[in-house]
Amino acid sequence: MNLSDVLETTKKEPHCGMCKIDFLGTGVCPAGKKHGFVAYWPEGRMELARALAENEVEPTETLIDIVNSCNLCGICDRQCYFITQRRPTQAQQALKDYVKTLKPNTFKPIPEDEIVKDLRSIVGNDWATNDPIIIASYLRSIIKQKSSGNFYIVMPRSTEEIVAIVQLANKHKIPYLPRGNGTFFGVALQTLLAELCSIEQGIIIDLWRMKDIHVDPGSFTATIGPGITSFELQKAAHAHKLRANVAEAESCVCANAQNLGIVTTWSNTYGWGTDNFIDAEFIDSTGTIMHLSDKDIPNPYASAQGLLSLSLIPSVIVTQLTLKLHQILDDEEAIFIPFTNLSDALDMAHNLAKRNIGISLAVLSRKYLTEFISPTHEIAEDFNYIAEKYLKLNYIVDVICDKYHKKIIEELAEVTFGHSMIKSLILGSSKLASMKESSLLKMIAEEEDPLKAVFGGPMRKHFEKGLAASPHELVKVFDEDLRDFFEKLYSKPELTDPVWLHSFRILPCRMERKHMWMYRGGYMPGDKETILKVVDALEKPAEKYHIEGAFGFLSYLERGKLAHLEYDYYYDHADPDARKRLNKAIVESWRRQFAIKGVTPLEFICSKGLHRKEHILYPFPEGLSEEDLVHFEELIETLFGGEDAW
Amino acid sequence: MVKYLSEEWAAQAKKKVLDELDQTKDLKNMNASLLNVVQNVPPDQKTMYFYIRFVDGKLEELLASPDESIKQKNAEFTITGDYTTFVQISSGQMSSAMALLKNRVKMTGNKIKAFTITKPIDTFNMCIKKIETEY
Ligand SMILES: Cc1cc2nc3c(=O)[nH]c(=O)nc-3n(C[C@H](O)[C@H](O)[C@H](O)COP(=O)(O)OP(=O)(O)OC[C@H]3O[C@@H](n4cnc5c(N)ncnc54)[C@H](O)[C@@H]3O)c2cc1C
Ligand code: SF4
Repeated sequence: MNLSDVLETTKKEPHCGMCKIDFLGTGVCPAGKKHGFVAYWPEGRMELARALAENEVEPTETLIDIVNSCNLCGICDRQCYFITQRRPTQAQQALKDYVKTLKPNTFKPIPEDEIVKDLRSIVGNDWATNDPIIIASYLRSIIKQKSSGNFYIVMPRSTEEIVAIVQLANKHKIPYLPRGNGTFFGVALQTLLAELCSIEQGIIIDLWRMKDIHVDPGSFTATIGPGITSFELQKAAHAHKLRANVAEAESCVCANAQNLGIVTTWSNTYGWGTDNFIDAEFIDSTGTIMHLSDKDIPNPYASAQGLLSLSLIPSVIVTQLTLKLHQILDDEEAIFIPFTNLSDALDMAHNLAKRNIGISLAVLSRKYLTEFISPTHEIAEDFNYIAEKYLKLNYIVDVICDKYHKKIIEELAEVTFGHSMIKSLILGSSKLASMKESSLLKMIAEEEDPLKAVFGGPMRKHFEKGLAASPHELVKVFDEDLRDFFEKLYSKPELTDPVWLHSFRILPCRMERKHMWMYRGGYMPGDKETILKVVDALEKPAEKYHIEGAFGFLSYLERGKLAHLEYDYYYDHADPDARKRLNKAIVESWRRQFAIKGVTPLEFICSKGLHRKEHILYPFPEGLSEEDLVHFEELIETLFGGEDAW
Repeated sequence: MVKYLSEEWAAQAKKKVLDELDQTKDLKNMNASLLNVVQNVPPDQKTMYFYIRFVDGKLEELLASPDESIKQKNAEFTITGDYTTFVQISSGQMSSAMALLKNRVKMTGNKIKAFTITKPIDTFNMCIKKIETEY
């Protein structure tokens, strides 16, 4: 197999980082676990296969070691297939075949310069490198494609080592940038934000080795190192019947805390930002260790609003975080309220938020529901079509609550469904997709209120029965050699348990299986009028530039006073024209969002996650005036050049 | 070829800006004063000060000096960063707004006003980058 045979796949590598966590109980790539550098993980091998095929890097001797370290055990195929339907072993096989064509002893030696020597003296020989092959595996997930800078990768194990690395970077006057699991970079580096958030030369501090974790059930807290992912923290917390407020499974919690403050569907109850952080240890740009609880640190909560407050580079490196954990109740259950209109869904969700009903509470779109629970993108598309055309199911108010709140919701809502229906939809999604033209669905569509008919009326039984939901049926859509594995996997109760899925969030990366996406949205007052204006402000640019745009999810904060909206733009990041259109849509969406009073676009929250929300979201910003918008255009041009440069 | 931040460089920079940039079109009639604090200037890692003041888009003052007393001019904005970053800005490799947003320089002063002058300051930097400079 040639590298060019797998180029279509490797070009679309999204760097979702899921193959670095053991979310299916398979274990993780043994080579990655041993060597740490991204090059030894499936995502890095994908990137290397692409970079070699596109002549962006020359092989070095280390490539042989990377390739030989993989024994094609297939763990990555199961993990990656579950998320993206990709099979990294194909790229790995292509790399194996490629290295066979290389003549031995023809590799250029890699000069060991002063900086790499010093880095090795800090972290040990195995954990610092300037090898171009290892550096290339970080392309598109912290380094911009076609960067010509001098880079070093270092993997520290302790706070003291990071201090020494920062001081070394300062001594040599070179930049440094921490990397958690690289997933934010994976999304942002494909866009015009790349320049603002990437590193153009210098030291990449890969934090994967810093995996200390301690749960203290007595004080309902956990203290973690910056290499701990959301999945790993949630697993440790659940062992004590506690829950952490964490976002998608693969993100490093410290990165997410610093970056976006961690907003989730649980935020109306558990809060956001420092609501959950008890203390943080961090290192400033001089290499000084500080704590959020120190009396004499510069006010960590103060933050300017406005356009120049945009900062996609962290000003500190979080080396330890102590977070609150929350109790899990015995009677937690999922309850879903289906809607055709966003306006109605917002009314219901806001009503629940104001009353503090629901531990987790969000408005979820049809797009998320169908993409997350379907085993393949094709099935998700059919499911999406069926939901829209026949079921008139466009939004869901998605709640996890106790049995008392469940009763109240059932009183307030005309139609609801729960665990059993979601299980049927997950395991029956392939059958549902095959029913696209069925008479049952046509009959449902003719009902006066199809949602009521399917989820609340007499048809519910027929509908659920028609789905013939079972792991055995579901896995028929998978590659044959993977079916046994997936049948066993889908037989595990957690894979169809909505409460578990909301806590562990192993499904959101499925957004990346067909196309790349870019977050839009942000924070705003929780009133419906503002939210609908923002949705419109995000929809219009997508339409104008022919980018697929879709509502993602909306969660309330502070009993409905505030709302966080994620709306997504989907595009093919391997297509330069699509990237250009995306960038134009991003700029236009900023322009439109800034004109609305009270709105802070998501990018403007970046690097402020350790702040109190009171200091960054209040007072609600005024919408920009016409004159401000002119300056905004000028700032964009200064930062990114004219439209042609995007 | 003139040495970066030398008196000759400052004189050439001032002349170039006055000769080549239009007060209204390029410099947007801005009223602002900025003090750049350039740290770790080679060879002896000293600090240099580089001060500019515009009145109605006209460059009234452009001074480069190691003398701390320049601070007494009480510039509206103080921008502090490493020599290597200022070289990148003055040679047009990185805009000052990008340097600010990438935490490569620190700024004190009114951020709202700073936002309104990013474009003319960028135009100023693009103009002085054309001086044949030894960094
Ligand atoms: C599919 C998907 C869904 C998402 N959903 C949500 C969501 O619901 N809620 C939410 O809050 N976020 C969400 N995010 C955003 C994401 O969780 C954050 O951006 C998070 O930072 C990613 O973690 P990471 O380890 O991959 O970070 P990286 O991509 O490695 O780094 C992100 C940023 O943090 C910096 N950084 C990394 N480690 C540290 C550290 N220890 N100290 C200081 N800075 C550091 C990096 O330099 C970079 O600027 C989502 C992202 C994806 C891909
Ligand atoms: S797509 Fe995700 S799971 Fe697959 S190789 Fe890349 S990072 Fe790993």
